Amino acid sequence: MSNFILDQRTVEGAEILYLKGFLDAHTAPQLEAAIGGLVQNGKYSIVVNFRDLDYISSAGLGVFMVFIEDIRDQQGDIKLVGMKPKVFTVFDLLGFPMLFDILDSEEDALSKFQTA
Amino acid sequence: MMNNHTNKRICIPGDTAELAKVREFVEMMARSCGFTEEGAYKIVIAVDEACSNLIRHSYQLDNSRQLCVQVENLGKTLTIKIIDSGNSFNPLSVPPPDMGEYFRKFMRGGLGVHIIRQLIDQIEYIPADSSHPFNILKLVKSLE
Repeated sequence: MSNFILDQRTVEGAEILYLKGFLDAHTAPQLEAAIGGLVQNGKYSIVVNFRDLDYISSAGLGVFMVFIEDIRDQQGDIKLVGMKPKVFTVFDLLGFPMLFDILDSEEDALSKFQTA
Repeated sequence: MMNNHTNKRICIPGDTAELAKVREFVEMMARSCGFTEEGAYKIVIAVDEACSNLIRHSYQLDNSRQLCVQVENLGKTLTIKIIDSGNSFNPLSVPPPDMGEYFRKFMRGGLGVHIIRQLIDQIEYIPADSSHPFNILKLVKSLE
C-alpha cells in the first residue's frame, strides 16, 4: 500500500494537485512526474493543496525547485496552500516562503492567478 | 532506583521504501522519551534526511546494503546513531548553504544536512576505521 496519494483536478484554468500522506525520498518522484506532466502539456498555473499531507522531507521540497524557474519563465507559478503547521515548519526552516507563495486556501491561490 | 535507559535498533535495506519504518520507530522512541509530537517530528525529519542521503548517495539505492538506526533513551536525552557500511563521508564537512543564493539561482538538492543541523542539538560523525568497520552519525537531542 502506498503511503502517498496524489489527485488532480482543473479549476478555473488552474491545475490543482492534492497531496495525501507522506512525501519523502521514496514518494517525491510521483510528485515530480505529475508536475513534469503538467509542464509538458503547457499547464503553468499550478496549485498544490497540502491539506491531507502529514509529512514532507527535503526530497519533497526539492520537487518544487526543479520546476519553479521554468514555470515562472512561462508567466506561471506553483502556489502552495493548506499546509498543516508541522509541514509548514519544514518549508519555513529552509526559508521557502522567500521564493514561494504559501497561502491558506485554494481560493486564495486561484484569485491570485486571476489578478496576476 | 528505576533505570529508564532503553536502547533499541532497527535495520533496513538501502531502499527508500523502508524510510517509513525508520520514521515510525524513531517517532515511537522519541515519544516514549517524553518528546512532544512536535519535538518527535523534528527528530524524525532529521533521521529521515540522514538515512535518505545514505540510501541515495552512499548506497546508490542498492537494497542489498543495510543501514541501522539505534536509539538510546537516556531519560531526558535521546541519542540516535545511524550506522552504515558505505564509504566514509562526513556530512558536517558540507558548508551550510546560503539560502538567498540558493533561491536566486534556483538550486536543487543538498538541503538534508542543513535541516539536520537546524533540528538537532549535537551532531558527531565517527568514520569507520581499523577498530570498527562502520560509519556512525550520532545525533543527540535533549528535551526542551
